[in-house]
Amino acid sequence: METATGLVHRRWWVPYLFLLPGLGMVVLFSLWPFVNTVILSFTDAQILRGGTFVGFDNYTRALDDPDFYTALTNSVLYTAVVVPALVFLPLALAVLVQKNIPGIGFFRSAFYTPVIASAVVVGLIWQWVLRSDGLVNTVFLQLKFISDPIPFLTDSTVLLFSAMAVTIWKGLGYYMVFYLAALGNVPATLYEAAALDGAGAVRRFFSITVPSVKPMMLLVGTLSAISALRVFTEIYILGGESGGPGGDARTLPFMIREVGLGFAGESGYASAVSILLFLLTLVFSLLGHRLSKGDER
Amino acid sequence: MKRLHLPRISLATALAAAVMSTAACGVGGSGDTGDQPTKTGKIEGNITFRTLQLKPTFTDYVQGVIDAFEEKYPDVKVKWEDVPGEGYNEKLVADAQAGSLPDVVNINTDSFQLLADRGILADISRLDPKARADFVPGAWDQYKLPGKGDAVYAYPWYVTPEILTYNKALFAKSGLDVDKPPTTVEELFDQAEQITAKSGGKYSAFMADPASRLPGDWQKMAVPILNEAGDTFTFDTDKAVEWVKRMKELYAKGAMPKESLTGAADINQLYGAGKLVFGPGSPGFVKDIKENAPKVYANTAVAEAITGTLGHIGIYTQSIGVRKNTQHPDAATAFAKWVTNGPNQVEFSQHATIYPSNAKGLDDPRFADRGDGTDAETVARATGADLLREAQLDANTPVQWTSQVGDAVVRQMQKGIKGDISAEDAVKKAQDDANKILAKQRDQ
Repeated sequence: METATGLVHRRWWVPYLFLLPGLGMVVLFSLWPFVNTVILSFTDAQILRGGTFVGFDNYTRALDDPDFYTALTNSVLYTAVVVPALVFLPLALAVLVQKNIPGIGFFRSAFYTPVIASAVVVGLIWQWVLRSDGLVNTVFLQLKFISDPIPFLTDSTVLLFSAMAVTIWKGLGYYMVFYLAALGNVPATLYEAAALDGAGAVRRFFSITVPSVKPMMLLVGTLSAISALRVFTEIYILGGESGGPGGDARTLPFMIREVGLGFAGESGYASAVSILLFLLTLVFSLLGHRLSKGDER
Repeated sequence: MKRLHLPRISLATALAAAVMSTAACGVGGSGDTGDQPTKTGKIEGNITFRTLQLKPTFTDYVQGVIDAFEEKYPDVKVKWEDVPGEGYNEKLVADAQAGSLPDVVNINTDSFQLLADRGILADISRLDPKARADFVPGAWDQYKLPGKGDAVYAYPWYVTPEILTYNKALFAKSGLDVDKPPTTVEELFDQAEQITAKSGGKYSAFMADPASRLPGDWQKMAVPILNEAGDTFTFDTDKAVEWVKRMKELYAKGAMPKESLTGAADINQLYGAGKLVFGPGSPGFVKDIKENAPKVYANTAVAEAITGTLGHIGIYTQSIGVRKNTQHPDAATAFAKWVTNGPNQVEFSQHATIYPSNAKGLDDPRFADRGDGTDAETVARATGADLLREAQLDANTPVQWTSQVGDAVVRQMQKGIKGDISAEDAVKKAQDDANKILAKQRDQ
């Protein structure tokens, strides 16, 4: 009769067998395309034909391309504004809705609604709110706060901030759920002890809540940085196919789509810009990692 | 219990997400070449037929056409596949390069150029020499390739011509004669100015979006888009500069919805809400507005499209091509001809707001009926048919005006119309950018 240990030794490959389907999918649909993108970035491939090796030409071209710098600046600015907002605002929201008071379920659901709303619906709502004859401008004009409509969607810089507002609005409920999970793990006794010691609500928030959810804040920061760097839909819906007037609100993913699509699409160059975006994402991810390391020490 | 390492999870997630975000394109292969297929005289075999986004709305119609064909030719079995519109052309070319293109395939002007250029499509004029007489000239000529003589690489199928739609109540309110809509771009601008002066900011005249206005507006103003050789853009002219100046002036005055400059505004919605005088130039739109905004429909008038100095519209048909290396050239050709014949095209036009490119189909009395001249949908059908008979290729967007060229020009036009740069600089920069892209595309 075989012992349990014998089984383990003889069938060591069984766990790997279970892993195989998932691993196969990851290799086929993520890793291989990634490797292919790296290879393509060193070629002059077009969407409809393979390319020849051109060394670092696509990378040097990107570094000489004013459109690349416009897109890079917009992506970095987007990240710089959106990440702090999405780290702190959902935390505040989570603290508010964490309390078990009657009807709180409604607010939790309401805050989460934007997450499940389709991008098209969100776009239509925000266009209706922000366009020249939209809700905000009409109210402001009626109240005589402004004499001319604010160009929320027709000025590239303002458009970028309008899109950030949509990203933040959509992300609030999503990251609020993350924080609610983290807050659930903070022992209530800590708050009770602090209250007995005379700590007020603000002091309890900064001295107990914030340190307790700090790892989650780093995770939220990293995740929101990744999604901010990959922003496309908000700009496309609010600023049209050109990426705002003159294309000045284009972000890196917007640029990748633009150079890579169509019959004359330059897959090689688009891949090089993709890799540069990947490196940028990596920088933000490592930054988050480094911060967490410092915290552990 | 082990504590979860959130920072490590976050790093792993970040890496995974970043990897996935860069996972992109593939490398293509090479196209097939070779002689044209020879017919055997036997209409038989199993063929595949691919259409562009016709399911589920037109499933019954297309299946009916297939069933009738199979009944007439019992030795042929047609396998129909329908593909969504997004990335359709790219998929066609990729399939062609991989050797998996269906025997009979729905193509359009763009994809025809690429497939025919790569020697993937059969020459219909050789397989079916008498077919030419069946189609309106503008549609037939569209499927010829420069330098390839009279070879035609697809049977023209359905088409939606450009017309002019406008809200006659708002038109009259502006002091304009409802029976005299604009026929040139310059007239459109003059009327838009008058409309804006009377609108009090309550409605606009037309949409700014340079992506949909160009190069059409310039062609109608006799701006030379390309040189004779077709290898250099030459639109940097006084007339093009004048176009930007008028657009800028009218945009500032409110003749166009502000958000229409970037294409983010919805023309159907604005027109349907009575906030726009000139609606979309498509007969299908007239039907939509009839169903969705009956009050505005009652005030909608239809006229011939603005054609300016050209005097005619362009033509963009869907078509049916036959793969050159099909195993069953007789069956594939017979089926393509069957789908595009007069009766089948006329029947299709009864299910959708489309027009036959088949001359016999276009002669159907239904396309001559203007009713009492008051119903916009009926007038649109007759007007569109009239325009189609005279359509010519010189009003089409040149193939050199690729999406990259269009994007580059549109960006400068948006800046010029907003007043961020001068009209002269906008047109000059647009031409320089377009020529750089063209040179790069030529070199590749």
